[in-house]
Amino acid sequence: MKRTAAAWLLWLWIAAVIWGAFEYAPLAAKFIGQSSRILFFHVPMAWVAFVAFMTAGVASLRYLFGTHPPRDPRHDRAARAAIELGLVFGVLATVTGAIWSRIMWGAYWNWDPRQTSIVMALIFNGAYLALRDAVEDGEKRARLAAAYAALGLVVTPFFIFVVPRITFSLHPEPVINARGRVEMETRMLQVLLASGAGFTALFFWLHGLRTRLLGLSALAEHRTAADAPAFAPIDPAGAAPGTSN
Amino acid sequence: MSRPASTWAREAAAVFAKEWRSELRTRYALNTLALFAINTLVVVSASLGPLGAAPGRATETLPVLLWLILLFAAAAGLPRAFVHEEETQTATALRLAATPSALFCGKLAYSASVLAALEALVAPLFLAVMNLDVPRPGLLVATLAAGGFGLAAGSTLVAAIIAQARGQGTLFAVLSFPVLLPLLLLAVELTRAAFAGGVPGGPEGPVSQGGAGVAMVQLLLYDGAVTTAGLMLFPVVWNP
Repeated sequence: MKRTAAAWLLWLWIAAVIWGAFEYAPLAAKFIGQSSRILFFHVPMAWVAFVAFMTAGVASLRYLFGTHPPRDPRHDRAARAAIELGLVFGVLATVTGAIWSRIMWGAYWNWDPRQTSIVMALIFNGAYLALRDAVEDGEKRARLAAAYAALGLVVTPFFIFVVPRITFSLHPEPVINARGRVEMETRMLQVLLASGAGFTALFFWLHGLRTRLLGLSALAEHRTAADAPAFAPIDPAGAAPGTSN
Repeated sequence: MSRPASTWAREAAAVFAKEWRSELRTRYALNTLALFAINTLVVVSASLGPLGAAPGRATETLPVLLWLILLFAAAAGLPRAFVHEEETQTATALRLAATPSALFCGKLAYSASVLAALEALVAPLFLAVMNLDVPRPGLLVATLAAGGFGLAAGSTLVAAIIAQARGQGTLFAVLSFPVLLPLLLLAVELTRAAFAGGVPGGPEGPVSQGGAGVAMVQLLLYDGAVTTAGLMLFPVVWNP
């Protein structure tokens, strides 16, 4: 019951954010038309993609080096779920960013440092899933994927420090900037923060659901394997005993 | 882990020697890497035409081509280090014989030396074919050394991962690209600085704030970070 109530609350919260983004927040100065409103969705998507990446990294480290119990498959499922969701939110951040970039900068794409970073994150997430697909054995798959995610975690700071130094940026930086203060109209900031909180909560809610679902399908697979007789004759029709339902 | 350091170093050296001995028997990696690199170099040079890259653009674009040649040559030859062990089923013997971290260091030293040999072959050819003067040869050598080592360090861990998976050739490229990209960006930036030479009024790298010094420090940090990560992660990748 508690879960359902929380989910309804989240639904109301995000509905309020959508209303706020279009009705409550004013338009930003120097932006063409209504284009500044996309910020209330674009920034949270990028933020959540980052949170997802970090969640996957931490879960992978816990899988590899955790001791209670060692090699807990739950951490592996958490890492996989986070990478999948990170891919979804990353694509949304890229698409919303590209649309806005077309309006403001005249081109969908121009290798802005943040565009470079998000593309590398997307490629990394894709590579992680490709690696999982290429390994049959469950334990080995979890171990190799976790090691790769940990390697990704080590390389990430270089993107943060190196890429912006090499190329210049047109990206607006009212919140994250070198000047160390928030430069945004108060009502816009309220909606942006509410949206960030809402989408972060949405991520963790979806992440919990996906992790549980992966756990359930692992359990179902395990039960099916346990139910099957050890020396079952091979069924010519291809349906192994115990998998008929 | 409890073994004395001298045993560890001897194991690493033994792995390094074994890699070179079996390599010299078949010369598979050396031939593949060298031919691959020369083929790409010929393609690049021939398609630029008899005049080469336009003088104003040469220092900007040619470093990219040099590092792409090195990257793809490495991707063609280096995954072999571990794939070969799984194919010939010698991996189990190696698991019994050597400490994982010593094994990683031996393999890394082997990959790094192969890449250094490749660079010693390709870089002079590249400079000759492209008709390039290098105002800062020291910087170029340092970049090739640090970049080659980083390329070997990243590839060795990724090679250990993909050796246990299916579809190894394509998977190596897919997995190593996001890991090696910071290295390539830095190496290209430094090579540009070496070619341009900081001549007053000459072409500068695109906004290289802080100059070559900062980039070199970052490249060395990258090498250190990836090697450390490899040493920590390799045991869990290698041992089931």
